[in-house]
Amino acid sequence: MSTIAPEFRLSRFIASLTDIIFWILLIFSIIGLPLVFILLFYIKLPVVNGQLLTPYLAMTWMADPSRTIPIIKSLIHTEFFRIIAFPGFGFAALLAAATIFVERKFLAKIQLRVGPLYCGKIEGILQLMADGLKLMSKEIIIPAKADKPIFWVAPLLFVGTAAALTSLIPVAPGWVAANPNVGLLTVFATIGFFPIITVLSSWSANSKWTFIGGIRALHQMISFEIPLILSLLGIVILTGTLNLTEIVESQQHYWWIVFMPIGAIVFFITIIAELERIPFDLPEAESEIVAGWLTEFSGMMYGLIQLGTYLKLYAFAGLFTVLFLGGWNGPMVWPPFPQEIITNGITIGPITAHIPGLPLFDQEMLNGTLWFVIKTVGVILVILLPRGVFPRIRIDMLLHTGWYTLIGLAFVNIFIALGLLYAGVLGHGGLMQ
Amino acid sequence: MVDSIFLAVSVLTIGSAIAALEIRSLIYGSIALMLTLSGIAGFFLLLDSPFVAMFQLSVYVGAIAVLILFTVMLVRRELIFNKIEDPRRRYAGIGLMIIVMLGIGTIIIGSGLKTMETSVTTVDYRKIGEDFLTYYSPALIVMALILTSSVIGALALARREDVTNEQRTD
Repeated sequence: MSTIAPEFRLSRFIASLTDIIFWILLIFSIIGLPLVFILLFYIKLPVVNGQLLTPYLAMTWMADPSRTIPIIKSLIHTEFFRIIAFPGFGFAALLAAATIFVERKFLAKIQLRVGPLYCGKIEGILQLMADGLKLMSKEIIIPAKADKPIFWVAPLLFVGTAAALTSLIPVAPGWVAANPNVGLLTVFATIGFFPIITVLSSWSANSKWTFIGGIRALHQMISFEIPLILSLLGIVILTGTLNLTEIVESQQHYWWIVFMPIGAIVFFITIIAELERIPFDLPEAESEIVAGWLTEFSGMMYGLIQLGTYLKLYAFAGLFTVLFLGGWNGPMVWPPFPQEIITNGITIGPITAHIPGLPLFDQEMLNGTLWFVIKTVGVILVILLPRGVFPRIRIDMLLHTGWYTLIGLAFVNIFIALGLLYAGVLGHGGLMQ
Repeated sequence: MVDSIFLAVSVLTIGSAIAALEIRSLIYGSIALMLTLSGIAGFFLLLDSPFVAMFQLSVYVGAIAVLILFTVMLVRRELIFNKIEDPRRRYAGIGLMIIVMLGIGTIIIGSGLKTMETSVTTVDYRKIGEDFLTYYSPALIVMALILTSSVIGALALARREDVTNEQRTD
């Protein structure tokens, strides 16, 4: 049992929670409500449809689904929702958080262990929440001789850069947070920030383990950025565009992995190296240099770095899906929204509710999201797989692989793309326009 | 809107450029240099050329700034720099800068910049590529030859004859 809080009882915990809720309600009704009414006395309320919009009327409207669903629908189509929730940060963070749990269970099953088991009774399903609570409640320790401003800001910058990368991934037709005309170049520019943040944070902690890890990360990321960029040039040559949405639309009939398997393999190996995963996890080699460049981070700072790492994992897996596996393209399997709900409304006993604004999402978008998520989760699982199987490789082998083999293979891929284009297999008059 | 962003980016770029020169800590100086280079990318974005802006970010911030950081971190700064505190040098530098800025400013204002057409459509990067392969193809070929020769030269210089491959067991 737990030794940190031996006197812990769930009933007492819940009792204290209800206690807090009771006091909040009491204080709000004694002090808060009168204050609200005093404020309302001075605020000029708007008149809507000949009625004064009192708080009671506003609450009535909010509880009425025939009025709220159009509001929600208009909210969904705002830029804010795209950045915060669906194709942007919220969706990516959800998938990233799920990845952390799935990784632990998946690796445990590969290695005939049980993995997280106790928290949440059923296969340790609440382990992630427990870890999150633990990280949030832990003390943040800053090393005494650390360079404090850089040390504080590095985890935030890491998460921010990873989130910027996720915002470029198109999830469904028209559903992307940022759709620049030079999307692929933006991806390269964003990836270029990771080594800076890594090496700055590792230097600022003023510890030899972090510094060795940071220098290793710098070597690894810089040398693998070149094959990463070169392996994607074949797609740019064949599609003639840098926009990620247009690249997905060009794969309606054939995925690019069919024509450029070498490029896909090179890109896959480079993303494993960029993500610092086994067998390329030298920057975090836990058996040699404690935890590499993450050594001095504690508490929620470490949590933010982990979140950023898994956001980056999702972004790279999504990029692989978008570039090589056809993105959202797939057969239409999502059932259409029932037409009678739109025309007749929902009938429950004697009540018939007509709800305008349904459906919230069209069928095409839901289907696209489904296929994108299926493919991305598949890619994520394949990225996780080597961790259960392979040992770590030496740094000279890593750099040798990056500089000699992968760059050479990337050039072979470019020549394959050029050959396909000039032989007339693809392009005008070929298989694809 | 654009004017306020332009002002903000200008303040960021010039301020961090001054900071890059003035800050004693080399690490912070190189961070300020990074901000300057990012600010220049911001100018390119404001000028409707995202292609150049992204290359500015990926080449200057992603590669050159990292190189500078790497160099600074590997060198012990006390050994190569000694502080020379001389106010006369500073005033001379400021005076020189003002003279240069005034000269450049009069040239730019006198160059008829105000009468320039500003409503030109954005240059598409496909057009740049087309121009490179048609009108400017000799320049492209010369650049390709220079880059190839420099890559071959770098490989020849980096090649080590003394290390045998027997150490590797792979």
